Amino acid sequence: MADKITLFVNGVEVEVESGKNLIDAVAAAGIEIPHLCYHPALGADGNCRMCLVGIEDGRPPLVPACKTPAQAGMKVLLDAAHIKKIQHDVMEFELINHPIDCPICDQAGECKLQDYYMTYHGQPSRMTVPQVQKDKKLDFGCGVVHDQERCVTCGRCVRFCRQITKTGELGIVNRSDQARVTIFPGRPLNNRYALNVVDLCPVGAMTSRDFRFQQRVWFLKKSPGICHGCSKGCNIVIDHHREKYADDRIYRFRPRHNPQVNGYFICDEGRLSYKRENEGRLTAARLGGQPVALADALAACHDELQRTEKVVVLLSPNLSLEQMLAAREWAARHGATLSGYSDGYLKPGDGDGYLIQDDKSANRAGLLLLGIDCRRETFLAALAEAELLINCDNELERSIPAEELQPLLKGTRTILATSHDSPSASTAEIAVPVASFSEYDGAVVNCDGILQYFRKAVGKNEPLPDMADFIAALDGTAADRAGLFTALAALIPALAGQSADTVPAQGLKLNENEAAHVSA
Amino acid sequence: MSDRSHLISTGKPFQFDAERDAMFERLVVRYPTRESMILPSLWLVQEQEGWVSQEAIAYIADRIGTFASKVFEAATFYTMYHLRPMGRYHICICRTLSCWLRGKQEIVDYLRGELGLAPGEISEDGRFSLEEVECLGHCGTAPVVQINGEFYENMDVDKLKSLLATLV
Repeated sequence: MADKITLFVNGVEVEVESGKNLIDAVAAAGIEIPHLCYHPALGADGNCRMCLVGIEDGRPPLVPACKTPAQAGMKVLLDAAHIKKIQHDVMEFELINHPIDCPICDQAGECKLQDYYMTYHGQPSRMTVPQVQKDKKLDFGCGVVHDQERCVTCGRCVRFCRQITKTGELGIVNRSDQARVTIFPGRPLNNRYALNVVDLCPVGAMTSRDFRFQQRVWFLKKSPGICHGCSKGCNIVIDHHREKYADDRIYRFRPRHNPQVNGYFICDEGRLSYKRENEGRLTAARLGGQPVALADALAACHDELQRTEKVVVLLSPNLSLEQMLAAREWAARHGATLSGYSDGYLKPGDGDGYLIQDDKSANRAGLLLLGIDCRRETFLAALAEAELLINCDNELERSIPAEELQPLLKGTRTILATSHDSPSASTAEIAVPVASFSEYDGAVVNCDGILQYFRKAVGKNEPLPDMADFIAALDGTAADRAGLFTALAALIPALAGQSADTVPAQGLKLNENEAAHVSA
Repeated sequence: MSDRSHLISTGKPFQFDAERDAMFERLVVRYPTRESMILPSLWLVQEQEGWVSQEAIAYIADRIGTFASKVFEAATFYTMYHLRPMGRYHICICRTLSCWLRGKQEIVDYLRGELGLAPGEISEDGRFSLEEVECLGHCGTAPVVQINGEFYENMDVDKLKSLLATLV
């Protein structure tokens, strides 16, 4: 923790962290200094002038708070008449050429300009001259659509492309009221993080082609989650909504700040992976390829287990720690072989050393932590002898091409518990639908050994069983979630004394030797 | 200023001629970073071609090793870089405060009405082109008009009329 210092805002004593600028320092104490261009990930630019404050110590009458470090004893003026006048006037300048198209603007409801207008301006326009017209719905590439008229030229998107992705596709051209953000002709946005400019944009100038006109943001329920697109485990906000007479549906993923994991951003691939949560799902159980009731499929699983001796349980590297542990305990009870073979989830060379990782699974570290064998040889050896394969959502065809897989599975019956429909769901003797990661609680360990706990975000009209429920149902019981967490806490020292509610929001960093401890 | 963000493409790749190429290499060692060469390079292009095309901006960016967007920004910010072929007489009218207060708009309106010449455009006969520019530093004798680099101070519509008559 950084040192605390005391300063005064409008004469009231406030304790803040030292080493931060005024905006961030007093924001932590619940005091808002309006700003458009400043963003903690991009640094202070000082171009919007919205954060001008007074400091009563003999310095110039107005200073930008984004460029002013918080110092002990500082006397900050926010509510004086001349500061309010400045804020009012800056807003008036911003709005001279801003189109009043809020009713059709995607940003409406989460727009800084809209919020600040209501808070700091709230006056009708005094302009009698025509507004400057600029270009609209420009395709900037990577699914980013730009409206130059809505832009307040804060330059966040330009700085993002220069400082974070270092690809520099965007620039502010022209000057004065003609200034506008654009790309150089023929060199559109071309980086794997481009859609972050949509979140960064404080107004509705940058929109995502994917989300445009899909949903008003005030209808969206914002639930925290963890992206399962790769092993980084980026923190996300799952924006979902249940329309009248329809099912709960995810409309977008947005990054959620976690300094320990992903900072302020996520990659585009992860952001668009929300579609996989909505579409292509297995919703009904299948028996020999034909849809049946879930209870019938589970009964069939039960029969299958009665008459087989040699069982292999294959786990997906995307399962939560609780689900993996439930499977491990089940396998131990029934003398089944447990495997986490999933080499196909690795995409060597795809990682970029920033957020994107080679490993396209969320919890491989969890498999290793629980000492689950992930080697190809052991899995193939066990499969050759097995009568029954219980596949817990492992997309085996990613690791073994279908034509090689077929002969390997000959003589082995398959129970597939999966969240998504696939050819395997039709060929498996029994297929059982299970919940996907936005629909259950659980813990995952990311590539840096950080354990993160996430909560169920989406509540489907007809909820599917969690993988742990499915595993418990094989024995005709129900999953004991609290028990699973307690068992995990007993295995993982970092979790000792924690409950699902007390795991820190930023995640728990596991020790180097914890993996060794658990598998021993 | 008019919108200068729509660059003109020649459809042909651009390259410095031998003289400018040598000049570029002579200049680049003077500066601490290669990005400092953006403005001098734009001048070299303009010397060579008379104006700066889309291809020339891409060439400069690649030659310097910087983002094309940065060269694009500088070229559109400074009105002394011509982003289209100019007329024989290039008229710049200052649009900053003093000139605006002292009647620059009458001159602009006159040119638009009489010659059909709007800021950022070139007359059909190729004789004149017009640009509204930022402060030219002659605020004490506003409004100021600059034609092919020559300053004409304390201008009004009548003075401009007789001046244009001498320019053929």
